[in-house]
Amino acid sequence: MARNLNVLVVDDEETICISLSAWLAKEGFRVETASSGPAALERLSEKLFDLYLLDLKMPGMDGLELLTRIRAIQPDASAIMITAHGSIQTAVESMKNGAIDYLCKPFDPEELSLVMERAATNKALRDENVMLRMQLLEQQDAIFSGIVAQSQAMHAILSDIEEVAPSNAAVLITGETGVGKELVARVIHMRSEQSQGPFIAVNCGAQTETLLESELFGHERGAFTGAVKARRGLLEMANNGTLFLDEIGEISPKMQVNLLRALEEKKIQRVGGARPIETHFRLISATHRDLQQLRREALFREDFFYRINVFTIHIPPLRERVEDIPILADFFLQKYNQETRKRIEGFTQNALAILKSHSWPGNARELRNVIERVVVLARGRMIGSEELDFLKSRSVECQMENLTLKEAERGHIQVVLTSCGGNISQAAKKLGIDRVTLSRKMKRHQLNRD
Amino acid sequence: MLDLIPFGAVDPMAVSIVAAHIQAIIGAYTNIQSERSLPDYALIATRNQYDAAKILKALHGESQGAPFKLGLLQEDLCLPILTYVYGESQLGGKVAVISIHRLIDPRPEIIYERAAKIGIHEVGHMIGLEHCRGIDCLMHFSKQLDQLDGQPLHFCSACEYEVSRRMKRLVRNGIGVTSQDQRSLEK
Ligand SMILES: [Zn+2]
Ligand SMILES: [Zn+2]
Repeated sequence: MARNLNVLVVDDEETICISLSAWLAKEGFRVETASSGPAALERLSEKLFDLYLLDLKMPGMDGLELLTRIRAIQPDASAIMITAHGSIQTAVESMKNGAIDYLCKPFDPEELSLVMERAATNKALRDENVMLRMQLLEQQDAIFSGIVAQSQAMHAILSDIEEVAPSNAAVLITGETGVGKELVARVIHMRSEQSQGPFIAVNCGAQTETLLESELFGHERGAFTGAVKARRGLLEMANNGTLFLDEIGEISPKMQVNLLRALEEKKIQRVGGARPIETHFRLISATHRDLQQLRREALFREDFFYRINVFTIHIPPLRERVEDIPILADFFLQKYNQETRKRIEGFTQNALAILKSHSWPGNARELRNVIERVVVLARGRMIGSEELDFLKSRSVECQMENLTLKEAERGHIQVVLTSCGGNISQAAKKLGIDRVTLSRKMKRHQLNRD
Repeated sequence: MLDLIPFGAVDPMAVSIVAAHIQAIIGAYTNIQSERSLPDYALIATRNQYDAAKILKALHGESQGAPFKLGLLQEDLCLPILTYVYGESQLGGKVAVISIHRLIDPRPEIIYERAAKIGIHEVGHMIGLEHCRGIDCLMHFSKQLDQLDGQPLHFCSACEYEVSRRMKRLVRNGIGVTSQDQRSLEK
């Protein structure tokens, strides 16, 4: 198994040099050894290696110092630190100093094999530099856009984005909490003509009306108690950019009038000010509420509704596009792998099945939080179903939340009955009521013993 | 061509099965030597394991016997740098050693098969073969026993070609090859 990889092993113990290089040679690496830091640096004056295995503890120059010296000569050098058992702290230190991995003496053969395999893969990747850079660009695009999608619904949304982004039309994004409305807004901004300008996001539901007004429109000095300085509003700041108003369904009819005027005149007035300030921005709004319904209830102005809703993008909830779950989960896995420096490879089939069957009331945001949690807690190379067990109990809670008392009672009785194999006396005991009451409740809820 | 040397008490069945498989699959005539005492010089008392590198060194220093030597132990093997090894050999060298210590299974035939695979693998290294990427090959590095069990009892076609090429070259160069090896190879 020839590998195009030159390795330099640096260790002051000869036996370790010999056995490591013998092992590596069988794996097809081209190996040389050096018995000290200075000896290694001398080798480096003649040739550079693809990978360095450095003993951390050596008399004279230690592995960390050697790594620093190697990096001065070869800035992108890959190194694996060899440490003694119990010096995790130094191992961590060496990782911070740029070692790609570390091994504790004596190594587990399996681990040595894994670490070397990873290093070889790393090298192979770097060899495909050009290709990698292109992939990276694509990846960055995906990360920037953050829209990782497999489903037809999301692909349709992506093409909607492409269509609407350059047009400067006002866009309304609808969908449940956590589906990624702001993300879609950002992508529209990035693909728009004002992509060089600012993207200003405001959550209209998070503050009181007065506060929101001063946030959006700004205020002049002395406009109200506490307004000791004049302040630019977000509508001003969004000039030549995009203004994203999240939870637009929460703003009052009065604020709707103010915003409508600002949109039509492309001018605003700060609170307590008289001079008109020009501002041009593209408006993207989002809501999880049914604006048509609000409009019928006269809580949402019709003229404002049509002004902000030139183009609608509806993002379906995650449970309606199950095919996006694995790819999104993988996207978040990679993200948190990077953040936590872990190397979890993926999900087992069972784990994926759990992810796919969960109802995700919090949508992609909930999925992200769940993946973050399992990545932080994960020990193995794969995320298994046991690690997602908490989702099952959680989904029961979530379902319970949406139940009426009657529905909850019926559900609970059914669960207990099933667990008691239909034995009414036993179930009644468990439920803390007598048999007659239970039978009555069963009749009322139209429940059978099985 | 190859001396198989048991160190300490080793299940004789395991010894003869390893020898038979090396002979059949590699084509090297294998001679089972009489049992030797455990190599105390290689014992790492703190780990209760034997240093495979030291055993190789000692075997390498022997001028008697066949040019290729394979040690076999019931005891656990390791290297100072590795927590354990199933076997160890010089790549393209003359000596190798294997242990059946970690090959435990309630069915002895499983142990014998594992021992044969490891023996052939190390002899493969001895005649100069590196690890093979293909998993259906005895030269693939098995990280775990279940991987080893999944391996077939033969080389992939590329490694098999390499084995026969190297064996023929040994014969051609007359390196410690006896008429028995010739006959064994012709089969
Ligand atoms: Zn091997
Ligand atoms: Zn092979």
